[in-house]
Amino acid sequence: MLVEERAWLTDREFAELIGMCQVLPGPNVVNLSVMLGARWQGPVGSLLALTGILFVPVIAVLILATFYASVAHTPIAGSAIAGASAAAAGLIIGTAIRLTIGSRPPMRSLLLAAAVFLAVGVAQAPLLWVLAVAVPLAIAVEWRASQ
Amino acid sequence: MNTSFDLLFEIGWRFASLSLLAIGGINALLPEFHRVVVDVEGWMTSAEFADLFALAQLAPGPNAMVVSLLGWKVAGIPGAFVATIAACGPSSLVSYFAMRALERMRKGALRVVLQRALAPVAIGLVLASGYTLAKAADRSIGALALTVCGAAAIAATRVNPIWVLAAAALAGVAGIA
Repeated sequence: MLVEERAWLTDREFAELIGMCQVLPGPNVVNLSVMLGARWQGPVGSLLALTGILFVPVIAVLILATFYASVAHTPIAGSAIAGASAAAAGLIIGTAIRLTIGSRPPMRSLLLAAAVFLAVGVAQAPLLWVLAVAVPLAIAVEWRASQ
Repeated sequence: MNTSFDLLFEIGWRFASLSLLAIGGINALLPEFHRVVVDVEGWMTSAEFADLFALAQLAPGPNAMVVSLLGWKVAGIPGAFVATIAACGPSSLVSYFAMRALERMRKGALRVVLQRALAPVAIGLVLASGYTLAKAADRSIGALALTVCGAAAIAATRVNPIWVLAAAALAGVAGIA
């Protein structure tokens, strides 16, 4: 939409901003709107973009949730959401598979991804501790590999 | 629902303290959100967590909307807004200030190193999120089969996820989950 309909950005600028969002923490779409807002209008632009990207979807999801709460006790709604939540878990697993195939990572990256998965997913270790070990280690290994 | 100030404050600092750990986006944080809201605080059951995640996926908008629904479940509409602002605020501030620094190192070796280092961490976290949700949602063989089908559809095709969810909801009504 930003690139094709409005021509506010070139493809290349868009790809670069997405790349930046990937090294920053937080929701990518939200970070992208903060950056675009800042690029055009400074802090006010960021705040407006943030409000725009969050406010309407929050209202929409609350309307959906309120509707769901009013029908949640019926068996049919319970079965439908049980099916949807099972598939939603699959969507996330599919996304992880897709990211792995798309980036064709070297063996050391696969090992790191597996270790993070086991620590956070299976062992349910607190995220802060896992990242405190994994992130500096990964940066050190990639830095050495790049020299 | 208890919408006292204390509860809103609790949601706010819990979610804000996770904001900067979201490497790879909000979907990277689901195991930690699950650990905090189900295991530590006991605000909801594991199955309710999985249901809220599915609802958020059905709504339009960024996938951060799951945070709004977690806040809503705990403390109603004020909870939804507090949770959303807390989870997105700190990371947005960092994005704002990091933008110029990152633009300067656009072609620098450091950014390539950072991207290569963080990409596998993000993949591990997203996979952990899927595993956590599957454990919470899959209470039958049929549900497990829906999870496998959903994963295959996203990994191997370009189908819009909303159709996968709609099909799975119908399968659920048909008694498969």
